[in-house]
Amino acid sequence: MKAAHAIDPITLEVIQSALSSIADELALVIMRAAYSNIVRDSMDYSTAVCDHEGRTVAQGLTTPVHLGSFPDAMRHLADQYAGQIVPGDIFIFNDPYGAGGMHLPDFYVIKPVFADGELAGYVATLAHQCDIGGIAPGGMAVFAKEIYQEGLRIPILKLFEAGKPNNAIFRLIEKNTRLPKFVMGDVRAQIAACNNGEKALLGLIGRYGLADYRRYTEELHNYAERLIRAEIAALPDGSYHFEDYLDGLGENPERIKFHAALTIAGDTVHIDWTGTSAQVAAAINGPMPTTNAMCYLAVRCALGAAIPNCEGYMRAIKVTAPLGSIVNPREPAACGARGIICFRMFDTLLGAFAQILPGRIPAANEGGSSAPHIAGRHNNKPFIVSGGLMGCWGGSAQRDGQEGISNPGANLGNTPIEMLEARHPVEITHYAFVENSGGPGRHRGGAALSRGYRLLADEAVLIMRSDRRAVPPYGLDGGLPGTPSWNIINPGPSQRILPACPMEGVAMKKGDVFVHIQAGAGGFGDPAERNPEAVYSDVLNGLITASYAADVYGVIVASDGIDHAATANRRSSLAAAETKSSYLRHFLASSGLN
Amino acid sequence: MQIESTATFRLGIDIGGTFTDIVATDANGRVLTKKVSSTPRDYGLGISVGVGELMRDYGIRPEQIVEVVHATTVATNAVLEGKGAATALITTEGFRDVLEFRRVRVPELYNLDYVKPKPLVPRRLRFEVRERMGPLGEVRIPLADASAVQAAQRIAEEGAKAVAICLLHSYANGDHERRVRDIAKEILGPDIFVTCSHEILPEIREYERTSTTVVNAFLGPVMDSYLRGLRDRLLALEIRCPLHVLTSGGGQMSVASAMRKPAYLVESGPAAGVIAVARIAKQANLPNVITLDMGGTTAKTAIVENGEPIKTAEYEVGAGINLSSKLVKGAGYAIKLPFIDVSEIGAGGGSLIHFDKGGLLKVGPESAGSEPGPVCYARGGIQATLTDALLVLGYINPQALVGGNLALDAERALRVFEHDVAERLGRTAAEAAHGILSISVANMVRSVKSVSTYRGRDPRGYTLVAFGGNGPIVAAAIARDIGIRRVLVPPSPGVLSAFGLLVAENEYEFVRSYPSELDVLDASTLKAKMDALEQEARAALAADGFESETVGVQFFADLRYTGQAFELTVPVPDGAVPDLARLGTAFHAEHLRTFAHHAPGEAVEMVSLRIVARVPRPVLRHFAHAANSEKPLAHTRDVYFGPAFGICPTPVLRRAELGPAPRSGPMIVEEYDSTCVVPPDSKAHVDGGGNLVLEVGA
Repeated sequence: MKAAHAIDPITLEVIQSALSSIADELALVIMRAAYSNIVRDSMDYSTAVCDHEGRTVAQGLTTPVHLGSFPDAMRHLADQYAGQIVPGDIFIFNDPYGAGGMHLPDFYVIKPVFADGELAGYVATLAHQCDIGGIAPGGMAVFAKEIYQEGLRIPILKLFEAGKPNNAIFRLIEKNTRLPKFVMGDVRAQIAACNNGEKALLGLIGRYGLADYRRYTEELHNYAERLIRAEIAALPDGSYHFEDYLDGLGENPERIKFHAALTIAGDTVHIDWTGTSAQVAAAINGPMPTTNAMCYLAVRCALGAAIPNCEGYMRAIKVTAPLGSIVNPREPAACGARGIICFRMFDTLLGAFAQILPGRIPAANEGGSSAPHIAGRHNNKPFIVSGGLMGCWGGSAQRDGQEGISNPGANLGNTPIEMLEARHPVEITHYAFVENSGGPGRHRGGAALSRGYRLLADEAVLIMRSDRRAVPPYGLDGGLPGTPSWNIINPGPSQRILPACPMEGVAMKKGDVFVHIQAGAGGFGDPAERNPEAVYSDVLNGLITASYAADVYGVIVASDGIDHAATANRRSSLAAAETKSSYLRHFLASSGLN
Repeated sequence: MQIESTATFRLGIDIGGTFTDIVATDANGRVLTKKVSSTPRDYGLGISVGVGELMRDYGIRPEQIVEVVHATTVATNAVLEGKGAATALITTEGFRDVLEFRRVRVPELYNLDYVKPKPLVPRRLRFEVRERMGPLGEVRIPLADASAVQAAQRIAEEGAKAVAICLLHSYANGDHERRVRDIAKEILGPDIFVTCSHEILPEIREYERTSTTVVNAFLGPVMDSYLRGLRDRLLALEIRCPLHVLTSGGGQMSVASAMRKPAYLVESGPAAGVIAVARIAKQANLPNVITLDMGGTTAKTAIVENGEPIKTAEYEVGAGINLSSKLVKGAGYAIKLPFIDVSEIGAGGGSLIHFDKGGLLKVGPESAGSEPGPVCYARGGIQATLTDALLVLGYINPQALVGGNLALDAERALRVFEHDVAERLGRTAAEAAHGILSISVANMVRSVKSVSTYRGRDPRGYTLVAFGGNGPIVAAAIARDIGIRRVLVPPSPGVLSAFGLLVAENEYEFVRSYPSELDVLDASTLKAKMDALEQEARAALAADGFESETVGVQFFADLRYTGQAFELTVPVPDGAVPDLARLGTAFHAEHLRTFAHHAPGEAVEMVSLRIVARVPRPVLRHFAHAANSEKPLAHTRDVYFGPAFGICPTPVLRRAELGPAPRSGPMIVEEYDSTCVVPPDSKAHVDGGGNLVLEVGA
């Protein structure tokens, strides 16, 4: 006979599956019941099940950026409401300072779950709201200088108290958004998910009893911790450094530096951000929960192991950052558009991991979602065209980078063009891969995307957050950096080039076209080693031109295929410097930017 | 058995990975079955052999066969193996990459090495034409014929065999697509397969519509030659009756329709089993049913309510086995057509047992398949599987399966199981085997939940109907875990899918995009739209040889709260003019049921109008299964039912030995094509329809 307190591996597996399915169930309810396209199409939201101490025991399969965002939030909640949490409560908050939020658009809606009169755990949801008031529609105005300009700020409050809705909060939210119908609809979807999740969690606890349930969730944390420590222990000890940059802001950008020191010691990882630029007077500061989340994500991606989303695995990862830096800002730094630094932290950390795990980490991807917002009024109703644009991946030791794929740090979806056009006064002029884009390499980087928006309303304001023009995505192992990003109003002879991150709303008039060309991803390995057949295939598929193939790779394409003799000849004399200078020239010419 | 020369038969033919099942019924409900090996290189061969044997065995002459209904895996396999036609795509200028962008999300997190599925049409075969429609179907840029001519000429040069045409907003106005099609046909000639998106899926959302159209074109030439070949094989047996094919939505299509719209056939196999259950549920008056179809590699679950399978229009072919497929898109090729909503997971008899890096015991999703198969098959399998664990428990016959046709090596299985699994767990073989069963059950419970609780339904009020070779073995354990009290095992559970083909109705579903706010919608305008749709449906059925009087129609509306992106499908109330207030009320109620909340004050919008037109089958109340005449076994064996019951001497019976009076477990019911396990705290009886019914202990 087994001792009563022993952990049965079979029960453990069953409880783990059940918790994952509850977290997925929370996510499904939100997806299907939500109103805004940012939640239902982009799927910019996450869900979790937490234990009685607020530690995540399972997370729904949604947005990686939100991974590890619940621990800080739950700690604040537990601290502030110790002894005051009762059955039927539902909490809401979004404040990055003092509530564990990430940026104001992310609303947390969290319900405690009681079994046998005791706090047994929480079901938690987080959804990006499409507008929360503030200086600019969409809640992601890069040019906000303080959080007070960014819209409605909610500390941890009880949206429901003992089952009774707190109507004051509902009305306050409704009055502080440009799109009350969508925001209230999405909040309702979050509440519905919590209520469903509560029932499911109670069913699970009922089957095993609260005491055993707790014992097993505790073991889940230990299990996840064991797994990750075993993976980390297999890495060589040492300290690894990497730097990457954001272009900066506005017309005369100054680079913003990200410096990560990644130290592997035995079975632990320490990530330190000392040397990273100071916080800025713009909305791209990332409070500590954001920074923690990106560190957990990068470690998971680099290790590539199947580790359950239990807080236990985080015990092996330590994150530090100087207070006052852009990755750990002081209140009241603005942070609405902090997503861009999430992506750059991710790139920086992967760059460091590439030194530890050569061949396992790809060259840099597009650098994160580009986030255009076009907002105004049409037929006396407000509209906001939003939806992040992505993306492409860097080349890797195994293969070319892929185009038309979400950044692994975000995994957001796109909104159907037909839906955008049916609902908003815009016409999409094109949505396509960009010719001669991406970084050359033995395995090339993924091709950039381009999309154009023609305004059909009388006027609107464009708010744009993008990056990777001055500092394109890095290549690895001799691969070249990707191609830069561009923002263009009315492409053609009299086109106007906008900064990567304009520090103001840009006025658009009826008929104006805004085109974004995103960065192409970095290449991997020496371009001179690229298989001519792969080059030829790219020519056939219209991803590169024949003259690009000749100038960049030395591959000569004739009407009936590769001219092997001419190719051998050209390749023997092709200098690396020529490849380097010609790929950008070709890209700029293809996009009318020369 | 002697067959009288006046009897006429209908044949159901279901191809599985391992076996091809053939079921024949006559007008009196007599059921004959045949199981032969599948022939994956040329499936028609296995069919031809099996049908020939069945006719010889029972002395059936070709003219006695009056209809053949077929479920095929050829379409699925063509997509999975990338063996469709070389396909080109013609689309609106600026949008040729829509197909490859997909919805950009990937189905796996934290995997920097993820590779997304290759587009079925490579970029070099994606061509653009100059034209533009607006969302209301208004022409913003007229079609430049020259651009269509140029695209068609390039397609001819490239040698593509199929063409998909999908232009932006064509769901609202198909004029440009039709013009492009005419130009393409003229240039490419009659041998090239051409599909327009507004014909196959006139619905908003360009990626899903493009992908569906591309899948249809990709399959067109392949299915055309497969179906022609099958018809020829049947003709060679002098079978000249109509041949129908089951769709993924559970309806039937004529071969001619199937050749034009092969994308409808992608999941016809799994649909067949659910259709059979739906018929059984109707006859047994079971309003709420969960189906469990478990074979060698996968377990499939679906919901049947009031005799109707629950359907979905969000499907990806080639997505592999993915429980969370509703949440995580992108692993396969999107087809937005009606599918019976079947959730499939990698849990079958062949599921491999292993320990992960953290020391956690896992079962599947990898499978030993039929080659090398479980250890007990003694065909070279060296890693223990679920079937081996079931053997250790005593659940399955230690000598042989499939009526003695598949011999087992129980000793070998026990040896491997003890050494590789039990010792490592520090348990006895039986204890370890029971643990393996529990883990498999937990996996299958997730699958059951994905069609029930994930959809806002409480499975405890449902009956679990189990079939397939392994479904009846694990059904009671699954039912107990999830709180289901009643399990039903239909007759001939191992060939139930083929049987389903014979009860499927001829069914057509048509959908039209019809965006409108419900409170500004005019009932008589809607009625006019419904009438037009009905005419179209009746014409299609008439073309397949079904006369108007026998056709029943039902209308559905896809509704949502204005602003939402996902619709719920609600029946349009009957009446001379549709009662829109009642429609709205029905929507609020459905929303409450599905999402546990509703907003009766909110505006509701209609997205599309659907019609389901069907020709009912003559209802046969009783089927006489020839397989039920198996001899009694009259023996017992020791079976381990877990720590609560320990090892029990368990009688092994035939179904025919049970009657309407419940008999207490434990017992095992062994049949030609399946085994049913009745645990000690459960009871079993056979109902008037020949179904084995288990009342599962709490």
